[in-house]
Amino acid sequence: MTVAPLAIALEGVEKRYPNGTLANSGVSFAVAAGEIHALVGENGAGKSTVMKMLYGLERPTAGALRIHGRPVDFRHPGDAIAAGVGLVAQHLNLVPSLTVAENVVLGHEPRRAGGRLDRAAAAARVRALAEQSGLAVDPAATVASLPVGVRQRVEILKVLHRGARILLLDEPTAVLTPPETATLFATLRQLAEAGRTILVITHKLDEVKALAGGVTVLCQGRVTGSARMAELDEGALSHLMVGRDLPPPPPRRTARTRPVPRVVARGLGYVDDDGAIRLRDVGFDVAPGEILGIAGVEGNGQDVLARLLSGAAIPSAGDARLDGRVFTGLSPRAVHALGVAVVTEDRLHDGAAPTLSILDNLLATRYARPPLSRRGLIDRGTARRWAQAVIDGFGVRAAGPDQPMGALSGGNMQKLILAREIADAPAFLVASQPTRGVDIAAASALQSRLAALRDQGAAILLISADLDELLALSDRIAVLYRGRIVARFAAGAVDAQTLGLHMTGLGPSLDGDDHDAVA
Amino acid sequence: MTPSREGARIALAVGAALALGFAVMACVSDQPWAAFRALLTGPLPSIERAADGRVVVHRLVRFGAWLQDATTLTLVGLAIAIPFRARQFSLGADGQLFMGALAAAAISLGLGDTPTALPLAFLAAAAAGAGWGLVAGLLKTRFEANEIVTTLMLNVVAVQVYRLVVGRVLNDPSAGFITTPPLPEAATLAPLIARTTVTAMVLVAPAAVAAALFLLRRTTLGYEIDLAGANPWFAVRAGVPVARATALAFALGGAFAGLAGFHVSNALLKRLPVDLTPGIGLEGIVVALLARGRVGALPLAALGYAYLRVGAQAMERATDVPREVVLVIQALIILFVVSDRLAPLALGLARRASARIGGRAA
Repeated sequence: MTVAPLAIALEGVEKRYPNGTLANSGVSFAVAAGEIHALVGENGAGKSTVMKMLYGLERPTAGALRIHGRPVDFRHPGDAIAAGVGLVAQHLNLVPSLTVAENVVLGHEPRRAGGRLDRAAAAARVRALAEQSGLAVDPAATVASLPVGVRQRVEILKVLHRGARILLLDEPTAVLTPPETATLFATLRQLAEAGRTILVITHKLDEVKALAGGVTVLCQGRVTGSARMAELDEGALSHLMVGRDLPPPPPRRTARTRPVPRVVARGLGYVDDDGAIRLRDVGFDVAPGEILGIAGVEGNGQDVLARLLSGAAIPSAGDARLDGRVFTGLSPRAVHALGVAVVTEDRLHDGAAPTLSILDNLLATRYARPPLSRRGLIDRGTARRWAQAVIDGFGVRAAGPDQPMGALSGGNMQKLILAREIADAPAFLVASQPTRGVDIAAASALQSRLAALRDQGAAILLISADLDELLALSDRIAVLYRGRIVARFAAGAVDAQTLGLHMTGLGPSLDGDDHDAVA
Repeated sequence: MTPSREGARIALAVGAALALGFAVMACVSDQPWAAFRALLTGPLPSIERAADGRVVVHRLVRFGAWLQDATTLTLVGLAIAIPFRARQFSLGADGQLFMGALAAAAISLGLGDTPTALPLAFLAAAAAGAGWGLVAGLLKTRFEANEIVTTLMLNVVAVQVYRLVVGRVLNDPSAGFITTPPLPEAATLAPLIARTTVTAMVLVAPAAVAAALFLLRRTTLGYEIDLAGANPWFAVRAGVPVARATALAFALGGAFAGLAGFHVSNALLKRLPVDLTPGIGLEGIVVALLARGRVGALPLAALGYAYLRVGAQAMERATDVPREVVLVIQALIILFVVSDRLAPLALGLARRASARIGGRAA
């Protein structure tokens, strides 16, 4: 028996940025060909820098990289691609207005005479590639119309199309639902069996356990542990990653008193500009001090529901009331003034302004009224003191209120967004994917905040693709499928397996309606 | 990037452009040194001691031309830079300037020699420019009309309206050419420096920049404009009136271009000829570009750019170097300033900046 050749080897790699930041130091680890290797660690541990060096986006300041045994010095991603290394970035780089096929072949297009793009060949190629790798996509679909989970598949296809033998994935499951995650894992295993090597960054312990053959833990730029998964249990891994034991998840509210509901939604429906029914006859109650979880595969109406409840879209049918007052159909500002707060699902798209300072980001929902402004003049002093208090109070790792929002890690950004939204003690919080893509410690802190808000009597609608989170925090869970609620559970009386069935439309129907009529 | 580094970078870019420009001059001129000297010292007055011991200041006219040019450029620069805060590429400073000038002249002629004529003409110019800017803003926010197209077209409309009104309505038949009558003295600004057209407007320009800075940094409207520019999707979700802020950014910019029009009509020319040349508004784009969109840097950028323009005129008159060479140098400066990675220093800074970006993502 021969030892599998090493696909990736790092030897004492150091990355020091010109401003002095030491992102990696003495990093050594190796990944055998055909192995799925997990790179774990908290935000800021230097995982992405390792990825960037392997993909030619950064050059190590010391140490050596070897790909398939050969020393390499990647000066730009082109070198890495030529060496068979492909990166699936955390924030997907696709052209929204082009089709799936066009995106996949971009840069390596099949051409017809005269250099024109051969669309038919591109579509055929992509269809074949998709079937081979188990990544189901419609080559003719426009990327802009696809949910983020499908976009990621497109991104992986793009990397495969370039002939990558080594795949680098930076938090691939951060944007995925459990069924999508399962599909992705199956795909990755299949790719590994076919001899491809996969290096994946993740925050989630169970994913490491489920997927990886080997794991390397980074902490503050250094390797603090490296192990074969077989030798490690989850507790040991967790301890290795975080360096301490995590606080237990916030306890679910146990008192089953059901006072008058604070939020009552009835018959909510939404038809989009193309005439597609995105949401139909959605109704629910949320009591003060209660968290209602919304489960569902991405693209089944969660985003529309959140938009209707925050004033970003006007329902085609039905309404929702807060303490008896209708708040759907109003402007976002009016909705906010009534006591509704919103954490949007994509923080970089519509949850924050990355180029502006932390201070300016925190101001967004409060700048127009006292105490932060009077008669059109913003009181910068008061605002700054408040921003500093938020940074301190929420344990945000930041230099100060003037630091650009975009310079923060996902977890710190999300803490600030939640802080902004709950600053006015909302009566109703719509939280979409509040812990998506953030590290374990930050996710735990965010969940504690949600629990604390609930304990203060707020009604919370928690929309999450993370079933563990839903099960841990929610009092009740409703499942959205194709724009309608197909199942409702008391959170204590359901498990992830059952939820997963309903999320994919396989569960027994709630009311016997013909769901297929919902486009 | 810190202001001092940015300053060093720009100085380097300008220096490199001048060096290259000198090379061009040496190719086309028999007297490149003289030409270069004229270019670099042209706008400065020369102070000499005359034979009788008195101090005589020469060339004040060109010194004045420099300051008044910088005044106009600062104001039209604001007209570009403010909409740009909302990420709107307004090219409409010319039209707004013409409307401002027309309004100022009309009010001045209408009110005659009264004490209120001057302030009212001033306000009318700002209002006319703001109104013209608001048209483009509303076209953008109500009908999603591309602002680059609308502002350029509105420039054409404004210039033609101007010519129509000057030629048909405000025409002075006693003049030998098509023009308005001279504006009443009470409505015009007297020179602060003798023999020049430098008026109180030279102080209004920095005051306008200060006012714009205050508005952008301290008011809720300024915050809304910034947020609308930085991430409109986020701004909408947060309840910020993005459409209103965007439209008002055009209007605000227009107000300053309108003041530039007032500067032209009531301070420089004191009457409006029908063939007033458009184009200075487009120079505002260059100034805003040189200032890197930073409102606070506009006066400096305007002074620098105006210096070059006036120096070019001096060089053209004094030597055999054609004005086109200066246009080449101006273009080089702009290219160097906007090309972050050209100068070696800039390269180093850019590397550091990208490292900062890369480092935080780890």
